[in-house]
Amino acid sequence: MTLTLVTGDGGRLSAKEYPEVAESPRFTCALGGAYGAALAVFGAVPILHSGAGCGMANAHGMTYASGLNSGGSAGTTTTPCSGLIEEHVVFGGEDKLRRLIDTTIQLMKGELYVVISGCVPALIGDDVDSVVAEFKDRAPVIHVKTSGFVGNSYLGYNQFLDAVIDGILRPRAVERKLVNLFGVVPNQNIFWKGELRTLKALLEDIGAKVNTVFSDFGALGALERIPAAELNLVFNPWCGLEAAKKLQDRFGTPFEALDFVPQGPRDTGDMLRLVARKLKIPSRKAESYIAAEEKNVYRYMEYLAEMFMISMPHAFNAVVADSRTAISLVRFGSNELGWNPELAIVTDDPPEWAVEGITKKLTEGLEGPGVPRVLFDYDSHTIRQELKAQPLQVILGSSLEKYIAATENEAFHLSVSYPAYDRLIVDRCYAGFRGGLNMLEDMSHSFAGPL
Amino acid sequence: MTSDREETAGNGRINLDDNTCPTREQRANGINAFKGKASELVDKARKGELRNCERDFHQNSGCILNFYLTVRVATIRDAVMIVHAPVGCSAPAALYREVFRRLWTSMNRAADFDFHWLTTNIGEKDVIYGAADKLKFAIDEAVRRHDPQAIFILTSCASGIIGEDVEGVVTEVQPKISASLVPIHCEGIRSRIIQTGYDAFWHGILKYLVKPAKKRRKDMVNVASMLSYTWQDRAELARLLGKVGLVPNFVPEFARVSDFEALSEAAVTAPVCPTYTDYLSRGLEQEHGVPYFLYPSPIGIANTDEWLRTLGRMLGLEDRVEEVIKEERAHWIPKMDAIRAGFEKVKKANGGDYRIMGSLGQGRLVTQTPFFHELGVTTPVALCQDFDDLLLEDVENLLKRVGDFDIVVNTFQAAEVAHTARAYNPDMVLSCPFQGSAYKREKGMTRIHALRGDGRGWSAQAGYAGAVACGSFLLQATRNRSFQNVMLAKTEDPYKDWWYGQPDPYYFHRKEAL
Repeated sequence: MTLTLVTGDGGRLSAKEYPEVAESPRFTCALGGAYGAALAVFGAVPILHSGAGCGMANAHGMTYASGLNSGGSAGTTTTPCSGLIEEHVVFGGEDKLRRLIDTTIQLMKGELYVVISGCVPALIGDDVDSVVAEFKDRAPVIHVKTSGFVGNSYLGYNQFLDAVIDGILRPRAVERKLVNLFGVVPNQNIFWKGELRTLKALLEDIGAKVNTVFSDFGALGALERIPAAELNLVFNPWCGLEAAKKLQDRFGTPFEALDFVPQGPRDTGDMLRLVARKLKIPSRKAESYIAAEEKNVYRYMEYLAEMFMISMPHAFNAVVADSRTAISLVRFGSNELGWNPELAIVTDDPPEWAVEGITKKLTEGLEGPGVPRVLFDYDSHTIRQELKAQPLQVILGSSLEKYIAATENEAFHLSVSYPAYDRLIVDRCYAGFRGGLNMLEDMSHSFAGPL
Repeated sequence: MTSDREETAGNGRINLDDNTCPTREQRANGINAFKGKASELVDKARKGELRNCERDFHQNSGCILNFYLTVRVATIRDAVMIVHAPVGCSAPAALYREVFRRLWTSMNRAADFDFHWLTTNIGEKDVIYGAADKLKFAIDEAVRRHDPQAIFILTSCASGIIGEDVEGVVTEVQPKISASLVPIHCEGIRSRIIQTGYDAFWHGILKYLVKPAKKRRKDMVNVASMLSYTWQDRAELARLLGKVGLVPNFVPEFARVSDFEALSEAAVTAPVCPTYTDYLSRGLEQEHGVPYFLYPSPIGIANTDEWLRTLGRMLGLEDRVEEVIKEERAHWIPKMDAIRAGFEKVKKANGGDYRIMGSLGQGRLVTQTPFFHELGVTTPVALCQDFDDLLLEDVENLLKRVGDFDIVVNTFQAAEVAHTARAYNPDMVLSCPFQGSAYKREKGMTRIHALRGDGRGWSAQAGYAGAVACGSFLLQATRNRSFQNVMLAKTEDPYKDWWYGQPDPYYFHRKEAL
């Protein structure tokens, strides 16, 4: 196992004085993360209390960066925004916000209104909480107190959940076998819609009840139902854990940190076994389902195996992705495809405490002698230098790596992480039993063909 | 020859000793709202009666940094863009390595489309203690990594409110490095009018990059291209200029730093969009004696003729221009005639008329309506993002040519656009591709434009080829509207029904003037 914490030019050359100064980081701001989360709650209307460009920046830099998606029915230019300018900086933006919430409730259909405050109100000291409180008898309105400078979009996801827990959730009777899904971060995880759908289907197939929290219809209901879960599942080594811990403290709901969304039969089967055990679902039921699904998947695998063997067998590969996506891909490549993982560059800037655990997940439990060198970096320049420095045949990364892979590595490239401007992803994903098949469908046509 | 617009508002001297430009509100009475007749708009503008308005309901509309300086400055070759801001402000620029590489090098795309930028990623500590050292570090890092010819420093709401002394950093660091530092004051809070951002950009270009002319290049024409014009539009303008014996100096998209430095050597600055180009054109004339014209833009057949003729007059190439126009017309007019004939059929089936509602920036306001006339269709209302005095003469000319028409100025406000579309109920709505649910319609709807990374001839709009491509595209758009109908029927409208039941798209505007 090798672990290099990259803080500068190539990591080993010099430490950057300001590591956060970076070329095209792999995330947007906390306001963006909260905005993305609010848009992912179908039926919620985000209200940005910010400069007029924050929503547009995060349309082009977040939802479009997430597989060229618009933000849905309340996204892009539809999202209400207070459009603060200098006079609000001088005189305060509270009155502007008050009028905006009032008119939004009048005009826009919504089950829930989510006020997200940005840099300007944070810097001028608007009392947004008080303004939001004025509307408590008119409609469900919550406030995500964030900004652009307080952190990145992963923090914004956590802050959104935090605001939901504080603003909406009340104790509920526990529904047996109900689980909530956390850690699949809207937009930052570009396959989030498909992943939530797939995880829900898988878990329901073994007899669990599933609240995906995001993406389903009946959004306010889904949020309100969170405390009814018997168990919270966090498919992420760090992001979403904070919410799960808070839910445990507040409502006594235990949580299981699953670290990653499983890809392919091996890890999917293991995930289902674990959840079945936790929910006291008879193992016979889970096992028979797993066996049937496995048989099916490998049967289909036979259709594509020959093209796979021609085009990209035992590839030296690199993964450039957020931690949970990187873990799924390294494991699937190493354990099911016979690839040789060379490099795993983790791009979501996980907190210090999570680094060792992520590194272990990326380097232990892998077939074959090789384990990837693990780097933590989000600077697109230094990432490029790292990729350039070694021979690779497959690069699973973002669209930032697309032309670099082709011209500097002669490697096959597929966008699997943020930002992904080179493919349109609605609910396709690589999760679950069939996830590996989906991925191979998206890549094995390259360099392959009959005589 | 110089401009004949001396009496126009906004024509004050550009002061390059200042750190940045005035806002469009200050410089040209820019406004964010109006509805009424174009004649009334002009009249009120002449009397100085137009005012900005405060909207109690306001939607995402873009700021002067993100509409869209980041994604434009990031495409300048041999330069580095530093966005002195929290990490989200530069997020749209994350497409910089990808989108433009879709253009093939066989389409005359330079091979070195390898762009670079950095964010200073302003954080919580920085807003308390300041981030000047971090900005200096970012400049060092840009030099060390890429040895660029220029470094653009874009400011943000956060850097502005915390009072970052960007000029101080530039003064201190510039003597130590060879790259030209170009600060651009585009704090989102500065202005309601996004055009202010472009003025701020040109101010930086004029102040820090354009060099005194070593020679006058009689064949070079500066063209400030727009975000919403495609690769084929550049190719078409280059083709037409080439036939006349001229070469374009396209900025800012995909330009080299040396192209900016040489702006002073050009024979003329020609427009693609008058208000976008205005500040640059004036500045180049004032500082370097480069003449300019602002109208017309080369959109539509007649405007393209006139664009070329104006160049011909200014450069003494009248005869050659007339030859070119004759050749071009012989080639393209039959194709336009066929499109007109197509629209005649559509009109006949539609009860005699076909009404198209266009929208977007000021530049399109003055080019679209005459172009619709060339196609033989009418427009019930022109939607415009903002309006300022810089456009007054153009609109007056337009009134003379096509008569009075309704105009709605609304800075991209989606609910107001949706209301206006319902109220006028045109046969076709042309909308920005990012305009929410505008595609949900019973009648026709299509995109108003494609973008820079689209290399297809299908998406062209400029010059003769663009007029024909765009006319064909619009005719094609009349044929089948199942997508628009299905989406209308099967998905919800974001606004409650009462919105469309009352008559005023400006229902939520504050009545008192600002």
